[in-house]
Amino acid sequence: MTNLWRKSRSRIAVLGVATLVAVGTAVMWPHAASAAVAEGLDCETNAQQTFSLTAGDGYVSTPDGNSIYMWSYGDSKTGFQLPGPTLCVTSGQPVTVILHNTLPEATSIVFPGQKGVKANGNPAQPQFDGGGSLSSLVQSAVAGTGSVTYTFTAGSPGTYLYESGTDVNKQVQMGMYGALVVRPAGHPNQVNDRADSAFTAGKEYVFLLSEVDPAVHLAVERNQPIDWTTYTARYFMINGRSMPDTLAPNHASWLPTQPYGALVHIKPYDANTNPLPATIRYLNAGSVNYPFHPHGSDERVINRDGHALAGPTGQDLSYQKYDLDVGPGQTVDTLMDWRDAEAWNPTTNPIPTQIPAITDQLLVGTDTWFSESGYLGTKNALPANITSNNECGEYYHIAHSHALEQSTNFGATFGGMMTVFRIDPPAGCTTQ
Amino acid sequence: MSNIISTVARRAGRRWVTVILVGAAVVLAGVAGTAYALVKSDAQSTTFPQNAQIEQQLGVRFSRVAVVGDGGLVTVTYVVLDSEKASRFQSDVAHPPSLYSESRHRTTTRVSLMKQGHTLRAGQTYYLVYENTHGALRHGERASIVEGTLRLEHVPVL
Repeated sequence: MTNLWRKSRSRIAVLGVATLVAVGTAVMWPHAASAAVAEGLDCETNAQQTFSLTAGDGYVSTPDGNSIYMWSYGDSKTGFQLPGPTLCVTSGQPVTVILHNTLPEATSIVFPGQKGVKANGNPAQPQFDGGGSLSSLVQSAVAGTGSVTYTFTAGSPGTYLYESGTDVNKQVQMGMYGALVVRPAGHPNQVNDRADSAFTAGKEYVFLLSEVDPAVHLAVERNQPIDWTTYTARYFMINGRSMPDTLAPNHASWLPTQPYGALVHIKPYDANTNPLPATIRYLNAGSVNYPFHPHGSDERVINRDGHALAGPTGQDLSYQKYDLDVGPGQTVDTLMDWRDAEAWNPTTNPIPTQIPAITDQLLVGTDTWFSESGYLGTKNALPANITSNNECGEYYHIAHSHALEQSTNFGATFGGMMTVFRIDPPAGCTTQ
Repeated sequence: MSNIISTVARRAGRRWVTVILVGAAVVLAGVAGTAYALVKSDAQSTTFPQNAQIEQQLGVRFSRVAVVGDGGLVTVTYVVLDSEKASRFQSDVAHPPSLYSESRHRTTTRVSLMKQGHTLRAGQTYYLVYENTHGALRHGERASIVEGTLRLEHVPVL
């Protein structure tokens, strides 16, 4: 009997394992695809801090149905993408970036803010042609098949651009840029070396701001001269996308070459359950200031151009800001949280005014962007003619460039450099 | 001797039963997995249905429905075919199209109508953002867009 049970048990085990393997294989397939719904920073990283980028061309789509010819740095394994991969490294550790060039002209990468950069083992430095004219800010990879290897030791913790140092106006406009995130050694969830720069793990966002004049891109695509005197940016992007594509998840299937979304999704501050803020890393790869304006809450500026805002003896020089001016080539790192300052409650602390009466409505009319209820986590009936944008009582705060022409898609309002910050009730959103 | 033969025969028989059961389980799971993948693939197909009546009456061709905002919002995009009709459609705040899940009998009708400029240009794509009320739509399923008596069915939800 014992022997029979042992054999039966063995058979059941074999059968169970086989079934689990087979079913598991079937179920794993859609789960692999579901990784595409991720939001927030999507880091490219590896233990050796060695990255292979390929300068190439491709197309991106804009929400108005346009398709724009771009150049960019792509991961050499996965190909063209806009912007280039977000490279995440650790401060004080060596970094290697191998650039392969498939473009029809020479290109390069500069790493503003990084010291002692070498190109193929030699100091990275400006290059001049036979006539003594500047041809590139650093050694470049020749057109078509060239490559160059840049090495440096990652500098102070913070956020940096990497971008083309060759024919800069044209190539950066064409899309040759990406973000470099330098993390403090031993503190991956701090923005800089200061303990007060800690953020909630996973609540980390990069907002790489840029613009596109489609006329320039069309000229390059057609191999025609560019008329810079008529330069007019028509599209304004966060992470290579314009509103409403900014709301879509990372790696959305309908944006195959624009992998990074720009939705911020957090819960309210709570001293016990959610004590740390999120961090948002702003970078400007464009040619003008982008005054980025998150509605609903200030952000604390703690880093500028990869350096902590601190005095000579460590004084905290960070500051709260309601409108974040990000200059061309500049980076600004912020901490952002949302606090239920008034603690409104429908029974114990009702809002002492008629709902609705908030700026978002007045800004764009009575039909737009009202968050349903004044009470976080509560869904109330709305007055007639008021629509809502609310799944489970969560809030949505719009965030956009306050130079309003930058919040358009080729002139159509409610587009461009715009996204939303989503704040869920403390207990989470139970309807998902 | 006959006992030994009998024992060997029984063991051999049990091994075959085990092999057959394991094989059947693998085949069954494989078939189920393939069917699931096909259904999923169908639901995720980017082929978007069209409806001539909707295009004629509303002046727009719907082009995409996608769950965004980490599940909390839905974007509906459409291409303008007739500027005048489309402008009427876009400005009819009181009667936006409703979105229905075809598999779970959920719906969302609450829309934030994004103002897209004063004139809707033919050939250009515009959008609406919906609240995804109680998770009305899910990535990978099919939905219907309903505007009055007009109905666009089997829309893939991205």
